[in-house]
Amino acid sequence: MSDKLMAEPTVRTSPSVRSDEVVLRTQNLSKQYGQRLAVDKLNLEVRRGDILGFLGPNGAGKTTTIRMLLGLITPTAGSIEILGQDLAKQRAQLLPRVGALIETPALYLYMSGRDNLRAVGSVLGGVTQARIDEVLELVGLRSRQKDRVKTYSLGMKQRLGVAMALLQDPEVLILDEPANGLDPAGIVEMRDLMQRLSAADKTVLISSHLLTEVQQICARVAIINLGKLVTETAVEKLTRGQGEYSVKLERAQEALSVVRAQAWGRNARIDTDGALITPAPEGRGRELNLFLVNAGFVPDTLMPATQDLEQIFLQLTNGGSGDIK
Amino acid sequence: MSTVITTAGIGSSRLRTATPSFLGIVRGELLKVSRQWLTWIMLALLAGGTIFAHLLTFSIPNAKTNMSQAPLHFLYNEMEVSFSILRIFGGIFIIILTAYLIGMEYQYGTVRILLARGVGRLQLLFAKLLALVIIALALVIGLLLLNSLMICLIIDLIGGNLQALNATSPAFWSNTALYLLTVLISMGVSILMATAMGAIGRSLSIGMSASLAWFPVDNLGMLFLLLAQRLTHNDFWPNITAYLLGPNLNVMPEVILPAQIKANSIGIPPLAQVDGPHTLWVALVYGIVFAAIAIVLTWKRDVKE
Repeated sequence: MSDKLMAEPTVRTSPSVRSDEVVLRTQNLSKQYGQRLAVDKLNLEVRRGDILGFLGPNGAGKTTTIRMLLGLITPTAGSIEILGQDLAKQRAQLLPRVGALIETPALYLYMSGRDNLRAVGSVLGGVTQARIDEVLELVGLRSRQKDRVKTYSLGMKQRLGVAMALLQDPEVLILDEPANGLDPAGIVEMRDLMQRLSAADKTVLISSHLLTEVQQICARVAIINLGKLVTETAVEKLTRGQGEYSVKLERAQEALSVVRAQAWGRNARIDTDGALITPAPEGRGRELNLFLVNAGFVPDTLMPATQDLEQIFLQLTNGGSGDIK
Repeated sequence: MSTVITTAGIGSSRLRTATPSFLGIVRGELLKVSRQWLTWIMLALLAGGTIFAHLLTFSIPNAKTNMSQAPLHFLYNEMEVSFSILRIFGGIFIIILTAYLIGMEYQYGTVRILLARGVGRLQLLFAKLLALVIIALALVIGLLLLNSLMICLIIDLIGGNLQALNATSPAFWSNTALYLLTVLISMGVSILMATAMGAIGRSLSIGMSASLAWFPVDNLGMLFLLLAQRLTHNDFWPNITAYLLGPNLNVMPEVILPAQIKANSIGIPPLAQVDGPHTLWVALVYGIVFAAIAIVLTWKRDVKE
């Protein structure tokens, strides 16, 4: 992508400055295929400026939900509100304000990148040649704009899909696996783009399998499994440990035995990195440090324990197998 | 912050308030058709076939004598050649184009790009149909001009002048218009048939195969019905052929144009006797059924492509 994209990054730093305006809301949204309930009474709220990670194992109902949000699939029950209006009643007015990229980008392969944007732009009108130049520049495809899309790499197609999504300068962006096919540099640029979009007051809903990316990009996540919402919360809150501390020290196994002998330390354990994960006396790190030193263990480091999103995702979705834990 | 993302200027506010425009969708569809090499190859083949067919007339023995003795008959022959090419090959062209425009959109999932921007499913279907009608009319006009040019050229090459054209009469032009009407009806039903197949199959390969197979199956099916009549000695079987689309379109010019013109059926006619209004009713009913199938399936089915 272009240098322009990389310049002057304005990263959204705090999720606490969330707007109160709910831009996207689903209420008891359900979709049934025969006997199978693909989405089950899903209640979701996305506020203006949010970047919401929409996660779930394969077959959890993410794509079905996204397709319902875009009017491609008719819900069996429930409602969708976008920008405060009912999607079922105001589809033609609302969806032009939503940019979308669904799974692998669907493109007219026999046409050039520029013509793809022209064909889509002509549908709504108001898309000038200058605007097409802008989005091509934004995704770094200006030099290849006249080439047929079938000659593009997967990453370039993905970028063109993003360009299409941005063409109408939408207020809401719904992106299904936007980093698909991008190389590491492309992923970093995509992440930067998402943060810029959020800073520009755009609301972004991202479905992705790259949980580390989601953790870096998104302030909030919604995890669904078997069509049901498992949790919808701030990433920071989700990854924060349960008042536990991670302690790196020598003779960790011995320290574990000592700690476990205490009433407050029964849940202590050693993690995969060999660090001692333990609650603290009175919940205070200072007290834990003092206890360990008095017991003859001098910590190298002691810090609040956190979990990464991947671990939490696997816990909540029972290893991503589809069963709710 | 990038100026690109914060394009909240005049243009941007116009962008945000835009809603799908029917004519905009039609324009987009025409752009897609114009960017397919297949469109231009088929057009070149059609033009080449037209020129070749007229040059064959030039090579017929005694062409000069025939033309000078019965110039009006010669002109009717030329007209029939022109419209036969237009009906058969123009029909194949429009069927393939319809299958591409509808089936490919679903097969490659590009339909979701448009629908996700607020374009209605039926709005998109009707826009595609209008684009196809525009293309069909442009094709008819273009080929009519080419045919006229070729007829003048052949007359001049055979007779050394264009005097044969003086034989045209108001009746000739009226019959030409009637013949043209049968061609347009045939193309219209072909578009609706290919649209229905595309809506059923939602794939280029299925839509195209089903559409292109329709008329051959329709025509060849007659042979089986004839066989059934011979085996059962029952007139029920040939009577069915009076309601098959292909045979009715084949015979339509013959039964609609005045008998003295002796217009020929192109392809196999029905085994039962039919008249002009009957062929028109059959074409109309098929057209309505195809349109209804396309509309209901497009309207009701979810887009999972």
